[in-house]
Formats: sequence, structure tokens, C-alpha cells
Amino acid sequence: MQTIPQAPFHNLHALWFQLTGTLCNLACSHCFISCSPTNHALKFVAPETVYRYLDEAETHGVREVYFTGGEPFLHKQIIPILARSLQAAATSVLTNGTLITPTVADELAALATTSRYSLEMRISLDDVDEARNDAVRGKGALRRALRALRLLQERGLPPIVAVTEYFYEAPETTPQEPGSGSGFYQKFRDFLLENGIEKPRLKVIPVFAMGKLHPSETGAAYVTPGMMHGFDVTTLQCTKSRIVADGGVYACPLLVGEPEARLSENSLSEAMQPCSLYHTACHTCYVTGMTCSNY
Amino acid sequence: MVYRRIAVFGGVYSNYRALAATIEDARRHQAEALFCLGDLGGFGPCPDRVYPLLREAGVQVMRGNYDVSLADGLTDCGCGYTDPRDNYYAALSYEYTFRHTSEENKHWLRTLPDVLRVQVGSYRLHMCHGSPRQVNEFLWESTTPDGFLSKLCGDYEADVLLCTHTGIKWHRRLPDDRHAVNVGVIGRPENDGETHVWYTLLTAAPDLQVAFIPVYYDYEALARDMRQEQLPEAFVETIRSGWWTTCLEVLPGKERACGRW
Repeated sequence: MQTIPQAPFHNLHALWFQLTGTLCNLACSHCFISCSPTNHALKFVAPETVYRYLDEAETHGVREVYFTGGEPFLHKQIIPILARSLQAAATSVLTNGTLITPTVADELAALATTSRYSLEMRISLDDVDEARNDAVRGKGALRRALRALRLLQERGLPPIVAVTEYFYEAPETTPQEPGSGSGFYQKFRDFLLENGIEKPRLKVIPVFAMGKLHPSETGAAYVTPGMMHGFDVTTLQCTKSRIVADGGVYACPLLVGEPEARLSENSLSEAMQPCSLYHTACHTCYVTGMTCSNY
Repeated sequence: MVYRRIAVFGGVYSNYRALAATIEDARRHQAEALFCLGDLGGFGPCPDRVYPLLREAGVQVMRGNYDVSLADGLTDCGCGYTDPRDNYYAALSYEYTFRHTSEENKHWLRTLPDVLRVQVGSYRLHMCHGSPRQVNEFLWESTTPDGFLSKLCGDYEADVLLCTHTGIKWHRRLPDDRHAVNVGVIGRPENDGETHVWYTLLTAAPDLQVAFIPVYYDYEALARDMRQEQLPEAFVETIRSGWWTTCLEVLPGKERACGRW
């Protein structure tokens, strides 16, 4: 049997929280952990748990904090949780944006204004075409996400739009003269500008063949020991981040709930150890250079 | 070496006019030594013009990511952009700078250190380009927490951390009289609608004093140089307006909100 490669742990650059487990108000057709309004497989993380891990992360010099789900705005304590997180570090929320009402946007703006560190709202879209986007994300998803983008912008919070490569296979990142052609970035930039988002910010994410898109085992690809020779392992996010979720601390936001990816039941320090690159998702990160942080 | 007052700057970006003005101003402020935290080229015109100025003034220079790329003949500047628009401008700038930097100067870049350590009064200074742990790590004010900075001070046995790379200056006082300072850049204005650039004076009085000094220079002359060299009009616009027009994707929300684009 072949040895499974390991990723060393370098430093705690980012701490993630899967705040709302697998519960989401949407049920996107490509969701990597099959979140939905009825999926309670992974439970919410309690505010006290968040605070305890934030305290621990600060002693390790954490640089960034991320909240994801599920849909984080389903958590009733989201605002005080973000307030506490912003005392520690720059904080980002990965959201579908559909629950960001004017009242919520006001609360977020108040937090952002009084904080020394950046509060980032990362709102997911799949396409600029309403029918195509909503076919993945549910009816009305694009319209409601756009509302959130506008609400945030009006309050001085330039949002980030996160787009998967679901409809756009490996968009080009090679140099492209501004305004030339119909490139992926240009298409989204134009769409956001047309909709009054004056400072378009894009984050592109590969699609992971897991969750609702789980491939057949025969088609799955894995990282092999030979692939580690000469490879800059620091490009892997698991060398510099950990995620707290129902059940403990995991190596990767994509692998929450997976026993093989759980590094500790209750200690961040304990989880700062090498992790196994055992999953097909590890192969995707290896190949794409995927970074789940904002930059 | 222990100093009482030093001048520190970063990101020259081939802006030889601002460099000359900075050196003159630092002398007027009686800086005992001048330090440059790297990124000599990129963005501006005629890159070879900055080297004699640095050498003649005895500036102590370390390498930034741009200098590493030029010295090692790498294919890009190492800023790590993903947006093709940013990569278009970054590639254009890098190719121009690579083509117009002499072999002699590229060789000189290879001889430069990646870290500088000096003492100002009783304070131990650790100078780096991006962060002490990574040459191209961006230390923005809004994404660099106190706990992280304190840990770096401990890890690198420093009372004061100095960096550049982002293009926007800031100063943070930490517990135990430690400090972190992003010294800003002199190559382009800092995205606030003003055309001047900034360098930093550090003085032991004997407590550490950190002063950001504005440098006013002939930016219209630089803009003419840039047009003569057929550099992108987007770069010229930044020099003339004080607003960044390119490579915006790496800006965190707070910093992005302050700019025009």
C-alpha cells in the first residue's frame, strides 16, 4: 500500500470557523458538503467555543479569521461573534448574501467602521446570467445577492464576489489587456459595474469534486509521494490554517466532519501538527494552487 | 552600529526624481544613515537611474521581491496576482524594467542582503521587505493584528519591525515598547489623491519617535519621462492623480474603500 503524503504545519496564518455546520438556506447543486435547509449533519459552533479558540489563536499570532458554513448569517449570534473576532484580526464572512438585509448591513457597517481591522463580506455567485446562476443556487439567489452587494457598498464596505469555476473552466489569469475580449474576470467586472458596484473585487475558486459532485472512486485523483518531490508545500493552505467545526479542529475547510482530517477534539495547539493529504480535494489544491483565503 | 536618527524608505519603483528628493530631505533632517527596504524597479521609467543615486548617497539597500526576480532572471515580479488585468500591467512593467536594467545592476542586486539589522538608541531594529517570514507577504494596516506583530518581534528578537511592500505607511505601538512600522514607498503616491510620497524617520530621543515625512518632487517631470518611455497611461495617471489604478486586487477592504478605484 502506498504511503499517504503529509503536509507539515508552518504557522497559523488563518483560523476558520464552520459556524453554522451544514445548515444553509440555499441548496446549491455543486455544494462540496451538500449544505441545505435540512442538512443538520454538522451542528452550529457555540459563541463560547468561538471565543475560546480566538483566544488561543491570538497566542499563536493568527493573521486572519474566516467564518463559513452553511450560511453564517443563520447564526443568531453572528454580530457579537464578528465583533469579538475583529478585536483579534481581520475577519471575513463567506456568505450567499441572501440574508443581508438593510438592518444587518447597518450592523456590519457599524462593526467595520469601529474596527481597526478589515471586515470582509465574500458573497458567492456562479454566473452573471440570472437563469444560469439561479439554476445552481436557487430561484431569486442572484437578485438577493445583488441586493446585499449594493447594501454593503452603500455603507462603505466594498464586497468581494466569490465565483466558482462551475460554469467557467479554469479562467485565464495570464496577462490580458484591459477591456479586451470577453474573459471571465472582465465579464464579472462589467456585470458588477453595470449594477453599481464601483470597486469590483473577485475571488475565483475551483470546483471540488466532492459533496454533491462526488466523482466515482475510479475517476478520483490523489496526491502521491512522488508528487511531493520539489513541490513548494507552503502553497497548500493546510500548512498555515486550521478550521474549527462541530467535532473539533480540522485540517481544511473542505474536510470538516471527516475523521481523517480531524486533528484535535478541543485544542488548536494540538491541531497544529502535520496533516495527511489523503483526499481527492488535496489533489485539487495541489494542482490548482487553490487558496481559500481572500488573497 | 548604533544610531540616533535614521531615514528608511521602500519601493523606489524607478522613481529616481523622488529618490533624489528623499535623499536630500533626509540629510536636511540630519539622518545619520539611510536605508532602502527594496523594490528598486518597476512602475517608473529608466530603472538604471536609481542605482548611482543610491550608491553615491551610501544608502544601505536590501532586496525586495522585485529585486530578487530581476537578479535571478525570474519571469515575473513575484507579487502573485491572479486577475488578468493586474497581470497585464505587472507583466508590462516587469518586462520593461528587466530590459532596461543593466547586467551590472542586476549583478549588484544579487549581492544585497534580504534582511538588515541595526540599533537606534536602545531599540533593536529588524528591517525586511514584506514580512520577516516572507519577502512578498503584504503587511497592510487593516490585516496585521497586534498579536501577530508581537509574535514576530519575539521570533525575530526585535524591538522594532520595519517593512514596506504594500505601498501604504502605518505605525503600530505594541506592548512592552515594541513597534511595527510600514515605512511606505517613495515610488508612487499612497492612493489618497495626493501626489507626494513618504519616507520614515526614526529617532531615539531616547524613546523611539517615528515620523512620516512627505516628499514633494517634480511628479509632472516624472510623468513626462514615463510617457517618453511609453509606459502605460494608467501608471502616469497614478503619478499625476495620487490614486492607484492597477494591481488593486491585493488591497484589503479598508484600504480599498479609501481609494478612488
